[in-house]
Amino acid sequence: MPVDRRNKTITLLDGAMGTMLQSAGLPVGELPEVWNITHPETVAEIQRQYVEAGSDILYANTFGANRHKTAGSGYTVAQLIEGGIRAARAAAAGTDTRVALDIGPIGALLEPLGTMSFDEAYDIYKEMVTAGEAAGADLVIFETMSDLYEVKAAVLAAKENTRLPVWVTMTFEATGRTFVGVTVPAMALTLTGLGVDALGFNCSLGPKELLPMAAELRRWTNLPLILKPNAGLPDPATGAYTITPEEFAREMEPALELGVSVFGGCCGTRPDFIAALRDHVAGKAPAERPAPDRHGVCSATAAAELSGVRVIGERINPTGKKRFQQALREGDIGYILERGMEQQDAGAEILDVNVGLPGIDEKDMMVRVVKALQAVVDLPLQIDSSDPAAIEAGLRAVNGKAIVNSVNGNRETLEAILPLCKKYGAAVVGLCMDHEGIPETAEGRIAIAERILCAALEHGIPREDVYIDCLTLTVSAQQEQAAETLKALRHVREAMGLHTVLGVSNISFGLPAREHITVSFLTQAMYAGLDLPIVNPNQKAIMDAVAAFRVLSRQDVDSEAYIARFAGAETAPRSPVQTGTMTLETAIGRGLKEETAALTEKALETMSEMDVVNTLLIPALDLVGEKYEKQEIFLPQLINAANAACEGFEVIKTRIARKGGDSVSRGKIVVATVKGDIHDIGKNIVKVVLENYGYTVIDLGRDVPPETVVETVIREDVRLVGLSALMTTTVVSMAETIEALHRSGHPCKIWVGGAVLTPEYAREIGADFYARDAKQSVDIARQVLG
Amino acid sequence: MEPRLTGINEREALLYLGYRGGEIPAGIRTDLERCRDTILKTARPRAVWREFPLNPDGSLEGTAFRPEGNDVKELLRQCHHVILFGATLGAEVETLLRRAQVQNMADAVMLDCCASAAIENVCDNLCADLQEELEGYLTDRFSPGYGDLPFAQQPEFCRVLDLHRRIGVSLSPGGLMIPQKSVTALMGRSDRPQTRRFRGCAVCSRFETCELRKRGDACGQAE
Repeated sequence: MPVDRRNKTITLLDGAMGTMLQSAGLPVGELPEVWNITHPETVAEIQRQYVEAGSDILYANTFGANRHKTAGSGYTVAQLIEGGIRAARAAAAGTDTRVALDIGPIGALLEPLGTMSFDEAYDIYKEMVTAGEAAGADLVIFETMSDLYEVKAAVLAAKENTRLPVWVTMTFEATGRTFVGVTVPAMALTLTGLGVDALGFNCSLGPKELLPMAAELRRWTNLPLILKPNAGLPDPATGAYTITPEEFAREMEPALELGVSVFGGCCGTRPDFIAALRDHVAGKAPAERPAPDRHGVCSATAAAELSGVRVIGERINPTGKKRFQQALREGDIGYILERGMEQQDAGAEILDVNVGLPGIDEKDMMVRVVKALQAVVDLPLQIDSSDPAAIEAGLRAVNGKAIVNSVNGNRETLEAILPLCKKYGAAVVGLCMDHEGIPETAEGRIAIAERILCAALEHGIPREDVYIDCLTLTVSAQQEQAAETLKALRHVREAMGLHTVLGVSNISFGLPAREHITVSFLTQAMYAGLDLPIVNPNQKAIMDAVAAFRVLSRQDVDSEAYIARFAGAETAPRSPVQTGTMTLETAIGRGLKEETAALTEKALETMSEMDVVNTLLIPALDLVGEKYEKQEIFLPQLINAANAACEGFEVIKTRIARKGGDSVSRGKIVVATVKGDIHDIGKNIVKVVLENYGYTVIDLGRDVPPETVVETVIREDVRLVGLSALMTTTVVSMAETIEALHRSGHPCKIWVGGAVLTPEYAREIGADFYARDAKQSVDIARQVLG
Repeated sequence: MEPRLTGINEREALLYLGYRGGEIPAGIRTDLERCRDTILKTARPRAVWREFPLNPDGSLEGTAFRPEGNDVKELLRQCHHVILFGATLGAEVETLLRRAQVQNMADAVMLDCCASAAIENVCDNLCADLQEELEGYLTDRFSPGYGDLPFAQQPEFCRVLDLHRRIGVSLSPGGLMIPQKSVTALMGRSDRPQTRRFRGCAVCSRFETCELRKRGDACGQAE
């Protein structure tokens, strides 16, 4: 890939603004942007010094001019941004210095760590970038970012609402991660995919510490690189930086050899630092950069580099899975999350996400599942759908670089889906089929692969992001096709140089002892060049085959991973659980999950599902509850027992789902942690225990507005609502929620819990019940719902 | 000065689990030890502190910040400087707790208790290190929400310390810190030895959330 011309000359940015303003009299902790209105001369004077020192681009004093931070300042976002751009323009007057709209983090964390939604963040940034463009900014720079999701919202806001070039710099710790765990490859893959114009680092650390990260970054992107470090590390007592301008500039020089082409300074740097940079780096040519040699897909915190076999887990998919379908219909996201975490634990490196089911709003469900999954799983996601609307919604919700599964050789499909892949920077799976079906020969499939590649390139999707699926056909039905698939696969990998995807388990359909066929085909396919097998990672034999292949192909250097996988492992298969004379009561009391499941199965041989629930599972749980009340056991033991009982309920649910019967729910309950409160562990404990007593719990999460509670309660016709609040400050919104429920006129009982509540206080704010703990919550549920 | 997490007080964690004396079941002890090790391994403590001369009107020099309330006034009576600090176990622990709540709630409860004890340990160490490094004598640490220092001043602590940029801590719209296992506090520095006068539940950083206090118990080590 040719090196971008923009990389050939040096661009000088400016230095710190905040510290300069503070030495000009701005009190620590005050909003610096207000000075754009109250002290525009001071702001412009500082920037004039930067112009004189050699800055080619000035950052307007607009870093924190977002509505979250400016509330109460007496000025609007547009006023502060307009003032900031105007001051910078004044400083640049008579020169060709450009003015950048400078935008920092909002200052409130996005979900899942925080409570701000992606859409709200997008909206905040949209307000800023449109104001900046209107005020005449030449480009927008998002800087000091630590959350990749927030950056994505920012970049989309800029690209969808303005024509400004977009530069991004993020802030890393010495560990090579940001505060929220973003890695350099994840930043590079995601932002290159989103089509930013330059990227790099600012703030964080000094030049010395950032150089190794710049060296890493350039291997993952061909975009111009920006380096704007602090003046070394600050004195903790005073916050002052001690490095000299000369030292700073000298430490920056090696970045030229890495091909960095945009230089500046962050905290602690002053105009004399920029002048020193001008003397040391400006005028020199950055080294020519080789094309990036690493690529792949990523979540925000982990990249799956395509440098060998990467396993795609296939289990988040309702096809042929009654229990999964039931979870989708009931909106049981927890069940889906467990499938995701289970696959990650089993060694999956990418998760396929398919939530298409008749009667389900696929677009809405895709967003919910993607957001919930990336809160608990590190892995990159593969958005699996044929509906362009669901694909786009999924791609927008993804934090990182995703894969789209899939397009095929049909022109209409390509035209509908490839632009989405380009816009969101996703890789794409191309199936070797078209409106005429699956070609029977390898040559026919290769022709389609070539057509797909051509179309992808036309849409600006890079070659390394096109993955071809040569399609597995069932060997018991079309025996000659296995060889054709492998032949096509080898050609696509070797001659076309593309990565390949293949769902392998279909090969053995209709045959006995399927695993032998599946594993053998998988091994042959990997040998032929398959690097992205879509499999069930919970099948040990499959993951064993992958582990072995990695040794034989030298991907697993010195067999380290293989040895670790089998070190101490028993070669004999694990014997089935021995329950002997154990009763369900004992199994649940001791929190033994497998035994509880086995004993439930056994009980179902002679009893109906409801009888097992009512005469065995619930009484066993009650016994545990009594012990907890008598303080004979701890909370974790109560939860363990409830979890064990859950395995029993799971057996029953699966059996009923298979029969197509109604679920065994004992009634619906809504739980929520009220608006303003984010401490939800207590609510989550209550939820787990209630579920394990057989209730269907609709968990609205935390920071839930009163209207959401009311809407849900009415829509789902719920008779019991549980609210939690942990702080005195948020009990107020609990009272508001209760009042809203009463006002709605919907007949439901309300119980409340949380550290600061008392029975008296609960009564005072209009709750029907107060629960001290999860056990009391169950008692209330029984009293209300039976 | 690097923030240090040197250990997790098992007794403290047990108290939060609802332990009221008597024998600790073997299973619980093993699980607790595992959770303690997980927190010690996962936590990446970060801290930031800054010292300001104390103005006669109670504000901190160079800032627009004046901690309110009689308790702080009393605390700082003999002090000429004020130290503000913020400390956190980091987003890593936050994520760990969230995962555990999906996969294993019993673990989540124990991890949560261990994390609470861990952030206290980080603060204890930070205060000890500051006492070591700075001249004179430090007072107790005092957080927004203790005594009559308003919880509503939390945003000012965050702004003055630039917590979001420096250690990745921000506030929810309700004013709660994220990551949750985070602490902000102030301390005075004096030329004279300072008595530890602020002990007991009323000024404990966990006043709001303490299960023990709710039950009418006390841990005996409230700070």
